[in-house]
Amino acid sequence: MAGSRDVKRRIKTVENTRQITRTMELVATSKLKRATDRVYATRPYSEALHEIVAGLYSPALSEKYPILRRPEQEKRAAVLLCTANRGLAGGFNANLIKQARLLLDSLRKRGIEAELHVVGKKGIAYFRFRGEPVLTARTDVGDHPTVEDAESIVGPIRDRFETGAVDSVYLVSSKFKSAMSTPPHTRDLLPIKGEAGTASADVFILSPSGDMILERILPVYIRNAVYTALVENAAAEHGARRSAMKSATDNAGDVLEHLTRTYNRARQAQITQEIAEIVGGSAALE
Amino acid sequence: MSGGSLDVRVVSPARIVFQGGASAVVAPAWDGQVGILPGHAPMLALIGAGELSIDRSGGGSDTFQVAGGVLKVEGNTVTLLTEYAGSEPPASIPAEAIVFPEDVED
Repeated sequence: MAGSRDVKRRIKTVENTRQITRTMELVATSKLKRATDRVYATRPYSEALHEIVAGLYSPALSEKYPILRRPEQEKRAAVLLCTANRGLAGGFNANLIKQARLLLDSLRKRGIEAELHVVGKKGIAYFRFRGEPVLTARTDVGDHPTVEDAESIVGPIRDRFETGAVDSVYLVSSKFKSAMSTPPHTRDLLPIKGEAGTASADVFILSPSGDMILERILPVYIRNAVYTALVENAAAEHGARRSAMKSATDNAGDVLEHLTRTYNRARQAQITQEIAEIVGGSAALE
Repeated sequence: MSGGSLDVRVVSPARIVFQGGASAVVAPAWDGQVGILPGHAPMLALIGAGELSIDRSGGGSDTFQVAGGVLKVEGNTVTLLTEYAGSEPPASIPAEAIVFPEDVED
């Protein structure tokens, strides 16, 4: 009966695991709902801001404002990677890390020095392990990223761009297409590219000048890009975790079914054997 | 001048603070209050810190404390993007909301 006891113990273990993964799935589902609402809530602001910036932008201003500078040569690039603090979300963190690694490799292949800024324990742990220097390592951004979080992350990097310490800034994060589809995505944050806008002083009353408005709004624009990335990343993390935990729960069910069948077969075999022994024993007595 | 009513939207990075029709808007621009009535010329202005009041189309009015951002008027659509919006003034005024007159070149 030793074999069937082992099987019974394994059934217990798998049941416990399934209980845990099912709970995690439920938790992720409820957090996902709120995180998705936050993603949609950021969109009106982003769209309106984009419209205004695009309207005022003029490539000729790059001489005047350091944030608009367009380096002729890309010598040094900053990569800002957003990952999660927690694992058990399927390939979520691994995909982001892979995307960042490929970006670093391709920059270095082109002879560009690349520096790394990471948000989230998972990304930090990976790059520390690889011996890659991580200039900014932030683990304090939770499920509910704030504008202040975004500003404190991107502010120093933006300053580095303005002073010329880096010539470009890339942002690697998850795009929140839907709860099921959260592909990693690289975005060129700086330098700002674009066509000359149409909101000139002929059409609009500009108060103060268009340049001044742009100078004030551009840092906000960059910060907002990082803010939306953090919000989308938080939602994407829950989405990925929900899918991962759902398939873990389903798999545990399959394993359980298989084990139960094995157990029953072993039990049946045991009973059959015992009957055979009794019948054999009584036959020997006659 | 009766140019119909204004379509007003006040948004902060995390949410839509106000959306709806209005007969008049008084917003704190960087250099003082600016009043907007239907038929206003297209305008883009920086927002300072202070009180935003909106007279709703159906009567009644809403006031918010805002700080920093930008105001856009085009047609009868008023869009106000702000860093902060709430019933109380912010604990600290964001740097974006402060414009020194001497920095402004004419």
